[in-house]
Formats: sequence, structure tokens, C-alpha cells
Amino acid sequence: MNKLVKKTLITAVLAAAAFALYYNFSLLPGYQDLEKGISDYIITYGLHDTGSLNLITAVLYDYRAFDSLGESTVIFGAVSGIVLILSRKMLPVSSKGLSFIVKRTLGIMTPFIALFGFYVITHGHLSPGGGFQGGVILAAISIIFSIVYGSAFDYRRYSPQTKTVLETGGALTFLVIGLAGIVMEGAFLKNLGFLTAERGTLISAGSIPYINIGVGFKVGAGLAIIFYSMIQKTFEEDF
Amino acid sequence: MLTNLIFIILFMLGFYALIMKTNLIKNVIGLNLMEAAIFFWVISFSDIGGEVSIHKFGETMGKFNDPVPQALTLTGIVIGASTAALLLTLIIELNKFSGTIDRDQIEELND
Amino acid sequence: MSLMNIELILLTVLPVLIAVFMCFSTNFNRHSRNFIAVMGVGIELALVISLFVLNFEAVKNSNFFLQYTLGYTDTPFVINLAMDNLSLFFSLIVTSAIFLIVIFSTQYITAKENIYFALFFLVLASIQGSILTADLFTLYLFIEAITIFTTPLISFEKTEETTRAAMQYLFYGITGGVFFFISMILIYFNLGTLKMAAVAESFALISTPMQLTIIIFFLLALIIKLGIFPIHFWLPRAHSACPAPISALLSGVLLKVYLYIFMRLFWTMIAFDFLVELHLSDFVLNLALVSSLIGHVFALQADDLKKMLAYSSIGHIGMILAVLLLNTEAAFYGGLLHITAHLMMKSGLFLSSGYLLQTTLSHNINDLRGIGHTNRLVFAAFIIICLGTIGMPPLIGFVSKWYVLLAFLKARHFFGAFVAAAGSIIALIYYLRYISHAYETVKEDGKSIKEELLSLKGFFSSTNKMKSVIYIFTILIIIFGLGFKILEMPINTAIFELLNPEKYIELVLGG
Repeated sequence: MNKLVKKTLITAVLAAAAFALYYNFSLLPGYQDLEKGISDYIITYGLHDTGSLNLITAVLYDYRAFDSLGESTVIFGAVSGIVLILSRKMLPVSSKGLSFIVKRTLGIMTPFIALFGFYVITHGHLSPGGGFQGGVILAAISIIFSIVYGSAFDYRRYSPQTKTVLETGGALTFLVIGLAGIVMEGAFLKNLGFLTAERGTLISAGSIPYINIGVGFKVGAGLAIIFYSMIQKTFEEDF
Repeated sequence: MLTNLIFIILFMLGFYALIMKTNLIKNVIGLNLMEAAIFFWVISFSDIGGEVSIHKFGETMGKFNDPVPQALTLTGIVIGASTAALLLTLIIELNKFSGTIDRDQIEELND
Repeated sequence: MSLMNIELILLTVLPVLIAVFMCFSTNFNRHSRNFIAVMGVGIELALVISLFVLNFEAVKNSNFFLQYTLGYTDTPFVINLAMDNLSLFFSLIVTSAIFLIVIFSTQYITAKENIYFALFFLVLASIQGSILTADLFTLYLFIEAITIFTTPLISFEKTEETTRAAMQYLFYGITGGVFFFISMILIYFNLGTLKMAAVAESFALISTPMQLTIIIFFLLALIIKLGIFPIHFWLPRAHSACPAPISALLSGVLLKVYLYIFMRLFWTMIAFDFLVELHLSDFVLNLALVSSLIGHVFALQADDLKKMLAYSSIGHIGMILAVLLLNTEAAFYGGLLHITAHLMMKSGLFLSSGYLLQTTLSHNINDLRGIGHTNRLVFAAFIIICLGTIGMPPLIGFVSKWYVLLAFLKARHFFGAFVAAAGSIIALIYYLRYISHAYETVKEDGKSIKEELLSLKGFFSSTNKMKSVIYIFTILIIIFGLGFKILEMPINTAIFELLNPEKYIELVLGG
């Protein structure tokens, strides 16, 4: 009974809050009528300023690159924290996998998945995509490996140490490009002018592709580390 | 407006799951639902029916959608993913200690 | 290559570099790693102090202002780091406290130091960033970062209790972050800008119901983060579960950073008049006072030393928030002075409790028997800091509480004055309870006080670091209690910023 009362009460409060919010939000003018000083500026001058065709990438890695630095630092910290919380002395691994057919099929598909991941990372300034998205695809390869071939396979290929080195390397790339901005352009994380090339080519848009590559490796390695820390428990029974 | 309605319903459902459900994983799902509702709202509200804000070679483009909310949302998604991973990690750890992921059966989490 | 105001960006980036380095340092020996940690935070402190000393004249005339623009300088859409007197004051006290806490933890933490220090430096980076940033979205990012980085540190000892506390902390923290995000994005949709100064200029243009929504979500987010009454359950658990240096960081430092963000948001960005106009300031003021009373009362029944300290933190933070919300000059003076005092006292208390509890079985009050006999000098320091928290005359706690009380009386807010006075009396009871327990039974003879004094010879030798940090905090509390006028100049300039937000807005927008 007590529980039911609580439930009804909470539901009523939430419904009232929802109603108030809805009423409030319906007063918002449509998006066209809103003040949009910034977005107009970016749409007009974004390509000119950064050389990146993808304006979202221009915002992420150039105008607001500091936010992206903070964001990749958040992943870095979360990975360190998860490793700290779930750390064991030895990583239990399993060499069991799925059936032969699945293994073979995946063996054929893996290079293409990797290629797609690298494509998304390196073309972040030209087409939809970028470091985070491509990094997630790269991390998926590692996860698929451990499901299909058993975690021992992936463990032997890319040991946790390698992944940690990749992750820290990615973070360092971002930081070094930022610091190079101070030395060469006079502001932290400013787009490096000497790297600019013809617009629309693969290596253009200043330092954006390099930041993308750094972030891509960082996110890929970081997510793989998170996955491996989490599955350890599952494989203890195999030992 | 339909967008606002969907946003608020999703948000409140997530909030309800966060505070009322006793299963900790469901709480995480509720939290993620709240975040997802906001991101959905941000993206769909800033959609003015223009093109995706990516230039194409040698073409003059029509009206663009505002790229800033999309960039902010990307950052928000990454933060949401990190927190979800951290929360699930803590739940795994807690399950090891107390053998349950039910809030009601773990003392001191009842409030 | 321009090096104008490069200190601001170094303050945030240097700790990140050190954190990345710490992750690599698994093969280092303990000594050199500790050396790097202390050096890193020492450089931070040196940077902040040099900013203060080099611009002393400007700070004195309260026209100190530094700004660093990231990326394109001539576009309307850049991230700024800005430092005015208020941020300088907070940066100064926070960095000094963290410096001492790092020295303490080099000896206290004996396992997995590399990840511990990596996360610690990431927290330091996000604290500096959230103090310095002039951009709303970056502020959101740093607030979330603080929550995410402190969570693993809370569950550092990996027992059931710490895991539970960390999980609860993360749930509440992220919910607060989600509310913050809603407000932030609503501001962007209404005004088309994320710069705090630009928002401040045109906040009045938003329609009143929308203003109310934005302010309520900001308030909810910060009330959750500050642990004010209806949503305070997580705070004592989280603050008592973690290792002592992290308790000191959370309770002593982080709550002050959230208070700073509160001031930045509600005085600089959203003018305080809006809060008054919407009748929210009185409500929050009374809520904070109730929270203060409840914190002190709960501290009475806490049988765990660290939990008692954490509940007392709720009491003090509620009082500070209430006095700030009075929005008078005297109130700001009392509030900022008490922020400084509480920072020193609570850090000192948590650190000394960490030292004392090394030899006991648990934090429970019954296991503390005789602890005053085995560690006489440290316990004497503990008592002195306790007296400061209660508000005994020669210590800084008395001075700050006196000014808080004066501010409440001047504003003729008698409930607030009652809470401030009652808090002291209740605090006296619960501290005395622990102190009397500590001297209850003599199990064995510890060192005599003379021997302990002699062992102080190696004040900075590696074995005495923890003790010396505790003594430094005690000495600081006595010194500032006697000479609190030293703090008058920085606090008055910080108040100037609170009373004249136009200066900050103008300078940030001006370039």
C-alpha cells in the first residue's frame, strides 16, 4: 500500500512537471525566429576559416577544440577509473569461440571493417564522421574478435599494454597539436596554418585530420579497454 | 509541437525509471533515456529543414542546419557513454560484493 | 608567437599532461613519481601566486583582469578563459589546499599511485578549468568531468561500502549534469550564444516563463551538487567512504568550487535581480538554512568519525549558501571568509582523521578509544581545528562565523542568525563527544609529548610528511585567526566583482 501511494504521488508530480514543461516549451518560438548569431557566422565563414567541408567537424575540432580536448580527457579519465575499479592481477582469457563458419566469415570481413573505420576517421573533415565515430568502429573490431575467436586471440594480438600505449598516444597527439598552436600560431589549439592545403583534398583543413586520427585511436583503444575490463568476470569460469 | 511532447514524455519516463525502478541497470537505462531525450530534442528542434551542414565540392548549397547544437550533442553523447560505462562498472563490482543488483535488497540504497 | 596570459591555459593543460605522464609511469619508483606529483602541483601553485604577485597593484585596485582566447581571436565564436579577482581568489585558495593535499597523499597512498595521481591531476585540471572558463558549455563539460574523475577515487579502496557510495554519487552527479545541460541548451536556443558575458547582457530578453525554467534547472543542478537538504543523502556516504586525501578534496575543495560556480552563474551571468524577481532567492535561502540545521543535527547521531565530518560539511555549506543569498556586502564578506575558513578547517580535519584512523580498526566511535593518547600531538592539532570549526575566539572559524552572524543580523534575518549560532552549539556537542571518547581509556603508553616534539626535527623528512601537513593546516588556522586582516584585501576585491558584474561582462566582450 505504502509503495502504491508513493508510486501514485511520484507519477502525479512528474505529470505535473511534464505539463508545466510542455506549456513552457510551447512558448518557445520556432527555430527560425531565434537569435542565431553564431551559427550564421559559422555557415558563412566556416569553410573559409578552417578549410573543413564538414562544418560540424569545424566546430568540434577547430572553433571549440578545447571542448573536444576536455571530452577526450573525460574518456581518458573514465578508462583509467574503470581499469582502477575492475583491476585484477591476471587477465583471465578464453580461447573458446564460435563455430568455424563464423570465424572464417569474420576473417574475411575484418579488413573491410577496419578500412571503413580508418575511412571514417581520416575523412572527418570531408564527410560525416570523425575521430569519435571511427574510433567506435575500430573498438567494435576488438569486441567482435573476442566474441568470435575468444578473448585469448585478441589478448595475444593487442595486449592491454599496446592498447594503453595507443590511448595515451592519442591523447598526447591532441595535446601536442594544441601546444604547437601556442608556439606557431600564438594561441592554444589554433589551426596550424602551415598544414593547410587545397580544400576538399584528404590532407587539408590544417591540423583537423591529425586531431581526428589521435582522437580515433584514443577512443578505439579506450572503448576496447573498457570492454575488456568488463568481461573479465565472465571468463573466469573457463579457467 | 510534437517534438516537445515526445521529448517531455521520454524525459519523464527516464526520470521515472531512474527514481522508481529498483533494478540498478534499469536506473542506468533511465538515465540514458533522459540524456537521449534531450539530444533528440536538441537535434530535431534545431532542424529547420535545411541541408546537413557539410559543403560539397563545387556546389552552391542551400540553407544549412545549425551545426553548433549537433556538435554540442556529440560531446554530450560521449560524456553520456563514459558515465554509463562507469556506472555499469560500479554495478558489476557491487554485484560481486552483495550478489544482487536490486536496490531494495542492498541496504542504505533505499532512499 | 604571443605569450600573453599564457598562464591561464597552462593552469588547465599542465595537469592533463602530468596525468597522461602518470599513466605511463608504471615502472617508475615511488620516490620519483612522488617528486613529479609534488613538482607539478608546485608549478601550478607558483603560477597562481606569480599571477597574484605580479599583478598586485591591479588586484589591489580591483581592476585585475586577464583573458586568454583559444583559437580564432577575431570571430564571435571562441572559447575564452578569463580571470578576474573572484576567480583569482578562488584559484589561490583552492590550489594551495590541493598542494598540501598532494603532499599528504604522497605518503598516505601506498598502492596504485600511478592511477591515483593521474585521476587526481585530472580533477585538478577540471577544477582550474571550471574556475577559469568564461563559456557555458565548457563549464558544463568541466563539471561533468569533475564528477566522472572523482568517482573512481571514491571507490579507491574497493569495498562494498565504497562502491555503493561511488555509485550513488555518480547517479546524483550525472542527474545534476543533465539538468545543467537542459538549461545550457535552452540558453543557446534563446540567445544564440554560449559566452557567459554575452548571455548576461541579453538575459532580460528571454520571456519570463523561460527564464524561470532556466533558473530552476540551474538551481536543481547546483543544489544536487552542493548537497543541499532534500538531495543530500549521497554526500555523507561519498565523502566518508573515500581515502582521507580524497575526502579532504571533496569536502574541503570541491564544494567550494561548486559555490564559486553558483556565484558565477547567479551573480555574473544571470543577474541576482532575476532570482529576487521570481521569488526564488528567499526560497533557496530558507532551504539552505534548513539544510544547515539538518546537517548539524544528523552529525549528532553519526557514529562514524568521517560521516560526522561530512554531515558537518552539509551544515557549513548550507550556511555559506544562505549568507551569500542575502546579497549584501557584509554577507559576501562573511561568506567568502567562511569559505576560506571552512576550506582550511575541513581539509585539515579530514587529513588528520586519515592519519589517526591508520592505527584503528574502523572509523566507528567505539574504536577511537585511547587514540588521543597514542598520537598526542596530531590529536592536539585535531582538537584545535575542531575548536576552529566550532568557532572559538583566536581561530579563523570564530572570525568568519562572527561576520556571518553579523551579516544575518544586519539583514534582520533572525532565522539565519539562529541557525548560525545553533550550529556552533550543536557542533560543540558532537565534537566533544568524539574528543571525550578519544581520551577515555589508556591502553598503552604512547610516546610522551616531549618525544613527539623531538621527532619533529625532520619536519619535512619523508616519514613525517603527513604530520607536517596537518600541523601546517593548524598553524594556518591560528595565523589567519589572529591576522584575518591579511585576507581582507583579496576578499574585498572579490566582492567588488560580485557587486559589479558589468566590469567582467564588458572586459570579456571587449576582447
